[in-house]
Parts: sequence; C-alpha cells; structure tokens
Amino acid sequence: MAEANDPEVGARARGVWYVLHRAEDALLTLLVAALVLIAGGQIVLRSGFNSGLDWTEPLLRCLVLWVAMFGAMLAAREDKHLGVDAIPRMLSGLPRIVVRLLAQGFAAVVCGLLAWYSVGLVMLEHESQTIAFAQVPIWVTQLAMPLGFGVMAIRFALRAVGVRRNAASGAAGPAGEA
Amino acid sequence: MIWLIALALLLLALAGAPFFALIATVALLGLNASDYDLIIAAAEFFRITDVPVLIAIPLFTIAGYLLGESKAPQRLVRLTDALFGWMPGGLAVVALVSCALFTAFTGATGVTIVALGAVLFPALVHARYPTRFTLGLITTSGSLGLLFAPSLPLIIYAVVAQQLNTTPPVGVDDLFRAGLLPGLMMLVLLAIYSVWSGGRRAQVRVKFSAREALAAAWDARWEIPLPVVVVGGIYGGWFAPSEAAAVTALYVSITVLAIRREISLSKVPQVCRDAMVLVGAILVILGCALALTNYLIDADIPGQLFEVIREHISSRFVFLLVLIVFLLFFGMLLEGYPAIIILVPIVLPIAIRYGVDPVHFGIMFLAILQLGFFTPPLGMNLFISSYRFDRPVLEVVRACVPFFFIMLFCVLVITFWPWLSLVLVR
Repeated sequence: MAEANDPEVGARARGVWYVLHRAEDALLTLLVAALVLIAGGQIVLRSGFNSGLDWTEPLLRCLVLWVAMFGAMLAAREDKHLGVDAIPRMLSGLPRIVVRLLAQGFAAVVCGLLAWYSVGLVMLEHESQTIAFAQVPIWVTQLAMPLGFGVMAIRFALRAVGVRRNAASGAAGPAGEA
Repeated sequence: MIWLIALALLLLALAGAPFFALIATVALLGLNASDYDLIIAAAEFFRITDVPVLIAIPLFTIAGYLLGESKAPQRLVRLTDALFGWMPGGLAVVALVSCALFTAFTGATGVTIVALGAVLFPALVHARYPTRFTLGLITTSGSLGLLFAPSLPLIIYAVVAQQLNTTPPVGVDDLFRAGLLPGLMMLVLLAIYSVWSGGRRAQVRVKFSAREALAAAWDARWEIPLPVVVVGGIYGGWFAPSEAAAVTALYVSITVLAIRREISLSKVPQVCRDAMVLVGAILVILGCALALTNYLIDADIPGQLFEVIREHISSRFVFLLVLIVFLLFFGMLLEGYPAIIILVPIVLPIAIRYGVDPVHFGIMFLAILQLGFFTPPLGMNLFISSYRFDRPVLEVVRACVPFFFIMLFCVLVITFWPWLSLVLVR
C-alpha cells in the first residue's frame, strides 16, 4: 500500500532518496528486532534462570524513544500522522494547494522548533555527561529527538511546497491508514 | 489574543495539520507565557523514556501486526466457528468473539475490520445473513474488545492519567480488571441481539462436531496459548503489562516467523514499518502532550474550567450526560488515541472534582470512544468498512443503527453504574 504511494518508486526510483529510505527501513527493522529480542530475552532470563542484566531496562526505554522517532519520521514520509483530514480530502485545485501549504508548513515550523530545542537539550546533557546505561551517556540516547524532528521538519516542508505528493490525493483509501 | 490563537489552531486542525504539532504549539506558547526556557518542552518530551509501561506499546503493536499478516485470523474464526457455530446466530457470535479477542491484541486501529472482515464477511453472507446485518455487525465488532486486556487504549489511558497524579492512582492492571465486566456486557448484549436477529431468519446452520472442534484447536495450537498465558497472566497478576507485551512479541515473532513461516523474512521490514508508523504517530502525540500536561497542571487550567462549568452544571448526573455527548463528538473527530491523549488531561481532573473515580472514568471514556469509532458522520470504522467491503458509507451507517443503540445503552449503563467497573478493582 505504502509502496504504491511512494512517489520515489517511480521513474526516479533508484536515486539517493531510494537508498536513504531503504536504509531508514533497515534501521527501523533492526531497532524493532532489538526491542523484541531484548525485552523478550530479559523475561526469559529473569524467570527461567533467575538472572538478568541491570542495564537492559534503561536500554529498552531508550529503544522505545528511538523506535518512536523513527516511526514518526516514517509517518511524516508516508503522510500518516494523525490529524483531521476530512476537509483536505474534499478540496481540489488551488484551495487544496493553499490548505496543504498552511497545514504542512505549520507542521514543518513546529518540527523545526522542536528539533532546535532538542539540540539545546542534548547540549545541556552533554555538559553533565550523566550515564544512561552501560557506558552510554544520556545525551547520546537523546540524539533521536533532534534527528527525528529535523527529518520530519524537512519532510513536512517538502510536502508543503508540493515536492512530495499528499497521500490523500493518491489512490489510498481509508484502509491504507489501517 | 488567546481566542485568536485558539481560532488559528482550530483552522490549522481543520486544514489537516497533525495533532502532535498542534499540541506542541499550545505547550510551547503556554511554557513561553509562563517564562520557562523552552528547552523544557524537549526535556518533557524526553520523559517518554521515564514511563516504563510505554515499552508495551511498540511490542503489542508489532505482535498485532504480525498476527494480522499471518493466517491467525482464519484459524481464530475456524476455532470459534467450531465452538459456537452450531447456535442459532452462531456465526454472528463467532464474529463478535473473534473480533473482540483480536482487537484486544491489536488495538482498535481498523486492523480488525481489515484482517478479520476479509474472512467473516463472506462467511456470514454465505450463511445467508442479511448483508446489512453483516455490515453492521462487522463494523461494530471492529472496535469491540477495546475494554479487554491487553488493549493499547487501556494502557495509554493509564499512562496519561498517571501524569495527573490522581487519587486514587490509576494502575494499568486496575484498568485491565475494570474493563472486564463492562466489556463482557457489551459482548453479551450484542450476542443476544445477534442470536435473536439471526435466529429469526433461517440460517444455514451446522451441527456441533467434536472432531472439527479438535481439528480447529489443533490447527490453532500455536495461537491458543497466547490469550491464555497473556490475558490469564495479566488478570492473574503474574505479569506486569510490559512483561506480558515482551512475552507476546517474542512468542508471536517466533511462531509466525520461525515456526509457521507465514510471513517471509523479506516482508518483515514492511510489517515493522506499518506497525511503527502507528507507534511513532501515537508516541509523538504523547510526548508533546507530556509537555502540555505539565503546563496545564501548572496553570491549573482544569481547575479554572471546573469553576466555569460548575456555575452551569451542579449535579453529577447532568455533568455525566453532557460529558457523554461531548466525548462522543470528540471521540468521533479525534479517532481514538489522540482523543485519549488530548482530552484526558483536561477532562479527567474536572470529572474527579465531580466525584467520578478515575478508573471508572477511564472505562466510561473508552466505552464512549468505542462508540465514537462508528458514530456518523466521521467515525473511522464506517469508512474502513465502506472501503473494505465496497459499500457506500450511507449503507454502512444505516446498517450500524441497531448496534449503535445497543452500544449506547451499554455506555449509559457503564456511566451511571460505577459498580460494574469498580467491583473487580476496589
């Protein structure tokens, strides 16, 4: 479903975007696999062998943040962030372009701001060098936020000016969102 | 000024701006007006990593999507059919039970209608159930099961309510227990209606066959332990919700990918992507809402709202009635998860001031939300059904009418009879 809506999977399929997107997919799959294996493995270890590693819990929580930010980046890529889309769906022509510019442009600005304040947060934590788990400092785990919001800002901006087609204008029916 | 901002945000929402951006804007403006350094918004968002139970969200979601992509829905229908198919209206009961079970594991995201509807719709039509009844039944069933563990909306409600430091506190396991009886009530009432409606018209009926039941059970041997262990484990108090999620995700991954091999490994990234798009969309809203919730509490917005409302509504009864209408409207508009994350921080503190128990409120809230999923004109499941079964939306709406009133009755019972929700909790 998503594949068919991906504007990149067309004439320009094999470009830089394609490589980046597949890398993004691969990373996300790795993150999910890690989450499932570590979370599940931890339970097996704890109940079966009465042992466990004390850094798995903070690692898992950090993985949740990373999975969430990657998922949110993908949602921005596939135009699947939750919102009221009844009205844009009904419009066409110039009104549609204006409405899209407003809504997506607004989202781009907000994501840009969130990315900016996330950078601030990372810098603050960088100074204190507190450890999140094992040898990993907290600021490293926070990098998902500037990365995620930054990429989302770019994607919303591109959609605002119409470089990326709005999924609502494609053939995607409601089941596409399911 | 504040009305101008509210109007601008409303227009942006109608233009299709994502919810999380709207929430983040309100949080940033609010924090800015209270002279906070706005880095605090990012710090609040990072608190996603401070809520242990959130691990359950990606884990249950990936498990649900893997199950949905596998042949588990067919096996589930076969098994319930072997168990209930002999009853008059039995196949309708099959639809209700299997949908409720499936939704409890996947959350009401339309996955149930897409995955189970594909099996149930033709089966029901083939058994000569009227198309309209079938359409209404499946559309309604698409959100049935929301109140049963380990449904995600229950978990998310608990997480949001915990941010508000209510007394008494809201535990995820409290909600799991509280949802049991109200959920069963919905299931039983819908089943009674289906048997009555189905029994009146002569359906193709099958005799109970122990052989088929055993064969179906054997066919579903890898799936049967799942609800038993997970649901039993949660209700029995052996598993914390996040542990149950971890077990479920690992177990489903192993059975679906390694033992059954119903999803090829090359398709796994696609399934991960579909599942995590939903997780990401929910969690960014939640993260932004964490920043907002703190501001709301700081500025005592619910308290001020309560003062305004109290001038007009003095009785709890009237308040609850108004609340049902309010939540039904916004539940329909905000489609589930955003509704929980956005409305609970505002409405729950007010409800508590009217003497409503936060756990009871959660069940009531989610029951209304469940109704909102197929409330015309915007209920999400109406459109998913219409798309999935290729019927006009209006036909789906008409088909849902009797089911709508049954569920509305359930909502009223749940709202005005707190005992039903609280007897297993307190």
